[in-house]
Amino acid sequence: MRTHPHQRVGILALIAAAVAVAWLLGAGMARAAAPAIDVSIEPAQITLGESARLTILTSGNGTLSVSLPVVAGLEFRVVGQSRQIEMINGTTIESTSTIVRVTPDEAGVFTIPGLTPQSPPLVLRVSPGNGGGPSLTPDNSEKTGPNPLTQGGSVASGIRLTPDGSAYVRLEVSKHEVYVGENVPAEIQVGMRDGFASSINGLPKLNSDDFTLNNLTRQPEHNLKIIDGKQFTVYSWRTVLAAVKPGKFNLTFEVPATVRIRTQPRRDSMLDDLLGDPFLQNIFGSAVQKNITVTSPEIPFTVLALPAENKPPDFSGAVGSFKITTDISSPTTTAGDPLTLRLHVNGAGNFDRVDSNMLAANSEWKTYDPKATFKASDPIGFHGEKTFEQPVIAAHAGAQTVPALSFSYFDPDTRQYETAHSAPLSVKVARAADVASNEPPPASGATAPAADDAHSGLRPDHAATPSRAASLMPLYFQPPFVALSSTIALLVAGAWLALRRREREANDIQGQLDRARAQTMHALLDRMAAASASRDTAAFFNAAHSLLQQVFGARWRIPAEHISMPDVDARLEGSDLNDIRQIFTLADEANYSGDELKAADYERWTQIVRRQLPVEKTS
Amino acid sequence: MSRRSRCAVLILALAMTGSLCQAAQSVSAASPAATPPAAIAAPSTTPATATSSAPALAAGTTPGYSASSLYNLANAYARTGKPGLAVLNYERARLLDPTDPDIEANLRHVRETAGLPPETQNAFYRASTIATPQVLSWLGLTGLLIAGASVLARRLYPRHRRKLLLTTLVGVSLCGVTAASAITLWPMIHCGVVVTHDAPVRVSPVTMEEPLFTLPEATKVRMSSEHDGFILIQTSAGRTGWVPSANLAPIVPKH
Repeated sequence: MRTHPHQRVGILALIAAAVAVAWLLGAGMARAAAPAIDVSIEPAQITLGESARLTILTSGNGTLSVSLPVVAGLEFRVVGQSRQIEMINGTTIESTSTIVRVTPDEAGVFTIPGLTPQSPPLVLRVSPGNGGGPSLTPDNSEKTGPNPLTQGGSVASGIRLTPDGSAYVRLEVSKHEVYVGENVPAEIQVGMRDGFASSINGLPKLNSDDFTLNNLTRQPEHNLKIIDGKQFTVYSWRTVLAAVKPGKFNLTFEVPATVRIRTQPRRDSMLDDLLGDPFLQNIFGSAVQKNITVTSPEIPFTVLALPAENKPPDFSGAVGSFKITTDISSPTTTAGDPLTLRLHVNGAGNFDRVDSNMLAANSEWKTYDPKATFKASDPIGFHGEKTFEQPVIAAHAGAQTVPALSFSYFDPDTRQYETAHSAPLSVKVARAADVASNEPPPASGATAPAADDAHSGLRPDHAATPSRAASLMPLYFQPPFVALSSTIALLVAGAWLALRRREREANDIQGQLDRARAQTMHALLDRMAAASASRDTAAFFNAAHSLLQQVFGARWRIPAEHISMPDVDARLEGSDLNDIRQIFTLADEANYSGDELKAADYERWTQIVRRQLPVEKTS
Repeated sequence: MSRRSRCAVLILALAMTGSLCQAAQSVSAASPAATPPAAIAAPSTTPATATSSAPALAAGTTPGYSASSLYNLANAYARTGKPGLAVLNYERARLLDPTDPDIEANLRHVRETAGLPPETQNAFYRASTIATPQVLSWLGLTGLLIAGASVLARRLYPRHRRKLLLTTLVGVSLCGVTAASAITLWPMIHCGVVVTHDAPVRVSPVTMEEPLFTLPEATKVRMSSEHDGFILIQTSAGRTGWVPSANLAPIVPKH
């Protein structure tokens, strides 16, 4: 490649400049100072829950290995590092700044040893906290990292966050003026800020003896809620509040919880702003877990006493809104037989105070103590149905009426006592004729089975009978009887199956023919064997001929006596044909010739015949 | 009809006749003799002996159980103010003869006196206790024979199938009545009666803990299992618990 003379001059100038720079750098590095370290902590006095900042500044050339100190009660975490290279008068100076977060686990005076033998130890004084909610920040005016919500104040109606902004407790209730004993559905909401609150360590607790907290749901519902731009997971428990005495009260609720307390100094807020997400902040930041109690703001309640005037005599303390219905187990019965009278109380209110004496005993009805069951239609038992069941017995026959039942309660909406009435029920009561007609006739002149006079109500003793049972167990449960019945049943079943089989066999014509043919074959085989033993050639071949006719008759489904030589010729082939033809011919000839066969011949012809037999017959 | 078939039908007919004779015998044995009521003294036995499984009862020395003797014994207990034992023996008497209205009436009276709610008896119960279990047992067996024989005869005599179908239905109906009675009485043979003044019911078969509730005397309960001197019971209201076995007596004693 050829170059212009001016270009050559430029290239040489560049090479010279590069060599000059390299020399300067090399000289500078050769003259650089030995590495030095400077350690400082700021602030030197903090409160428990806060963090201090340890800055390690290394300067000079060469590598300096620095390991973090280990001090009991202090946690060290590197949060950032920066490197700077300066060139002053041709001298290169490299410095590295490492920022370490120091977080105390307890109060006290800590001595952090020097990182090098030349560096002096540092002292960090940690004073105990104020004992309140978790404090995140040192008391300066800079913005703290996680942008806490309004601490200790109200963000929205009814919400007061913990000082660190990590959680809140709130009561949602439909009314604040209630009556004594009235059940008020309420929802307790516990908000846990995502990334800050770790766990809820117990159920919400009411801080008052003037109210009771009933039927708190065991498992809370949870959903997400954005408050002041921050995401909270809100856990909701449904419950029923009930006041026990009149007056004005302020209720608070509290929930034990565990929160993660961030402990970096305010100077790290830049890092938090950079990370943004609290989850990431907690990964890169420093945090300790602390158990706290989250308390709700005070909720005012006015509790009114139930009015004394117009209080029904059967008022049992039920407060709410109810309806009643009644029914009876049967509209017809027999005198003396029990019926079940039911009272259904539906509605909403304090079902634990819903009570009824049901029907009082009178001349028409004998009554017993009722029993009650409650079926709630919501998880807190505010809505539902309470059913009272009372056994009643009609005293007299005829058309009877179960009187209407009533139920009194206080309706907080109308602010007055209400009494609900059911409709009367009609029952037809028959005379106990069946019982009377079944009674045995009196033994000696009495007109009726009179009750025992000395112990009214008891009927008299019976005459002793000679017959006795060996056991109180009913006969049909006794093993011998069960065995007898089972045997009979099995016999009948067996006989039925046998008859059925016989019928089937009777209907099977072809089967019968086959069986008869098989029997004939067996007989002919026996005749062949006998003829072979007695050397009777004519009888042997006649039997063989007949047997083959039976075999081919069965095989070709034509009558055996019709099988002749042409049939054999037409249907058989190969060696079988020759053998069979020979047997048929010999059978004809044997009757006239009177030739006798040798024992081996009998055996051979017998084998030929047997080969033609069906498999099951030969076996 | 072949000779074998005739023999089979003959054997079944003979068996049927035998069972009918047995049933008739049991029916006659079950009917009370027309003798004046025997005077039975109030029993002085302790509950333990009175509830024992020995079948020799107060009236007479003949071994075994009879409905009348049990009824009289129950009356005697009722007169002496022992409702638990009275109810127990009424229940036993009712098991032998559920058709006796006196047993039913006195049982109801004693239960009322003891403050217990009356028992409800549905139509199925009444229908299934039209006769004593012993009679129903033999009737059921007879029904089985009739049904079996008629089913076989329908095979043998196809011409008379319609008439024989009626016979089969009669036999099956008799079997059904017996089955209904057995279904009705099955729970009763697993029941017991509280024979002491009160019976504490505990959550487990140990005496250390406080009772869940107390059963009043003469309460009838269903007994499930037994463990270490305690019996697991279930009340008519569905409540369960363990009761000391000394407080309970089974209606059907274990032999």
